Amino acid sequence: MLKVESLVAGYGNIKVLHQISIEVGKGELVAVLGANGAGKTTLLKTISGLIKASAGTVRFDNADITRYPAEKIVGAGISHVPEGRNVFARSTVLVNLEMGAFLRQDKAGVKNDIEKYLAMFPILGERHAQLAGTLSGGEQQMLAIARGLMSRPKLLLLDEPSMGLAPFLVNEIMKIIKELHREGISILLIEQNVHKALKVTQRAYVMELGQIRRHGKSMELLESDVIQKSYLGEKQNPKRRA
Amino acid sequence: MPEGTVHEAEVHAVLSARSKPRSNGTIKKKVVGLSAALVIALVLPQVVTNTYWLGLLNFLIIYSILCLSLNLILGFTGLLSLGHAAFYGIGAYTTAILMTRYHVGFLPAMLASAMLALVFSLFLGIPASKVRGDYFTLLTIAFGEIFRLIAQAWIGFTGGAMGIVGIPIPKVFGMPIRTETQFYYLGLILLAITFVCLTIIVQSRIGRALIAIREDELAAKSMGINTPWYIIMAFTIGSFFAAVAGSFLAVYQTTVTPSNFRLEESCLMIIMVIVGGMGNLWAPLAGVLIMTLATEMFRSLAEYRMLIIGGIMMLVLLFRPQGIFGSSAFKD
Repeated sequence: MLKVESLVAGYGNIKVLHQISIEVGKGELVAVLGANGAGKTTLLKTISGLIKASAGTVRFDNADITRYPAEKIVGAGISHVPEGRNVFARSTVLVNLEMGAFLRQDKAGVKNDIEKYLAMFPILGERHAQLAGTLSGGEQQMLAIARGLMSRPKLLLLDEPSMGLAPFLVNEIMKIIKELHREGISILLIEQNVHKALKVTQRAYVMELGQIRRHGKSMELLESDVIQKSYLGEKQNPKRRA
Repeated sequence: MPEGTVHEAEVHAVLSARSKPRSNGTIKKKVVGLSAALVIALVLPQVVTNTYWLGLLNFLIIYSILCLSLNLILGFTGLLSLGHAAFYGIGAYTTAILMTRYHVGFLPAMLASAMLALVFSLFLGIPASKVRGDYFTLLTIAFGEIFRLIAQAWIGFTGGAMGIVGIPIPKVFGMPIRTETQFYYLGLILLAITFVCLTIIVQSRIGRALIAIREDELAAKSMGINTPWYIIMAFTIGSFFAAVAGSFLAVYQTTVTPSNFRLEESCLMIIMVIVGGMGNLWAPLAGVLIMTLATEMFRSLAEYRMLIIGGIMMLVLLFRPQGIFGSSAFKD
């Protein structure tokens, strides 16, 4: 579904991504992991057209979308939920959701989807008339995800949805991601929370300094020595983890 | 029973209400408010017969058009443009030159002025849309100063510091506009047209896109909003109406000089918009009224009245950062 090949991108003369190749199949839930500054966010922004690639290709549903502007990529069916939540703080929850459907013309469908997501995220339903800026961090993250879904994407790009959230809320968000995956949406998840991300995803890529260092099945990565050492602290017997 | 169902009915009600434009009560209130304002505006010159006050009213109208159009750029899109006076000036000079030298009628001259301002706003807007914040503001200042310097230095074309004098009496559909009252009604029509056009724009998806850009440009982009396109659109539409105001100024004053379009004018418009309130279409009108009246009331203090104007602005910013009737404040 999504096929990124030898992607090079960055800011001005500074190259952040060096020949990145990743793939997300239809209905797959894939993670890209890595420490701060590895280039994860840059990778997502390049896929969604917020940053222009200087070399390589991004293909989506067999179309070359590398040079597409951001709005055309949304139209093609990729929705990017940016890092740091970025909700429209001075608009209500409802307006935020409506903005997510900016490119859609089917008013009735939009209305149905709003009702669907407000039911799926009950806390948003409760606060539909509240200004988004007054929501808590976790609620804003849910709103950002729901807003991202309003464009009816085939592929959802999630940039560190667990960032800055309490552990309990991280679990909530991960549950939601799993649920969306079950509904059939393909998801590319970027995370620093390696352990949680490996537990919910099927496959994962590990990024370091703008390159893919490893990739494989999430369960295997979770048990591998390198990951244990560099991301999960001292090696422990994974079976002892609850 | 899932938690969501409790609110579903309520949400449904809200959504259904939103698919109709507004509930009956608010519409009624709006209609009543608008018609009251219109009646007062129409009757005003019958009550106010003093030429001085009528002249003041005409300047109120000019600044109202300017601030309504600036509000689209500053209040809705969140772009601090200090070049609005330049487009006001382009409108005034184009009308002045077309009417005095080429004997073009007022309405075609006004339309040509607004179109020319639109073209120039594209020249500025396309490069300016690539930068944000301070850089955008600096570009608009530079543009405003270039315009003023050209107006001052190109004596053969613009009349230099003396400007252009003897702009003929405008005729609208064959009717000459001579008295203060006639200018008032002409201005009122232009203001009404501006108001209606801008209302339609901000209530459409364009308005929503602009607000989204102001609130969070990255998020707006990831919603599929073509942000440069909408930024340029807001900028050109705002400049178009600034030129309409300039065109009216030219025939009303019968002269235009570069000093009408200095940076201070752009600053004054920004103050009016901020005091009145950004992001609410009609709110800047309150700012226009307050600042114009303040300027007039303290005329005896000469230059020192700027202190009072500055003071008013600081009070508003301290105690009502969103402006008197505004819905949005600058972000922290």
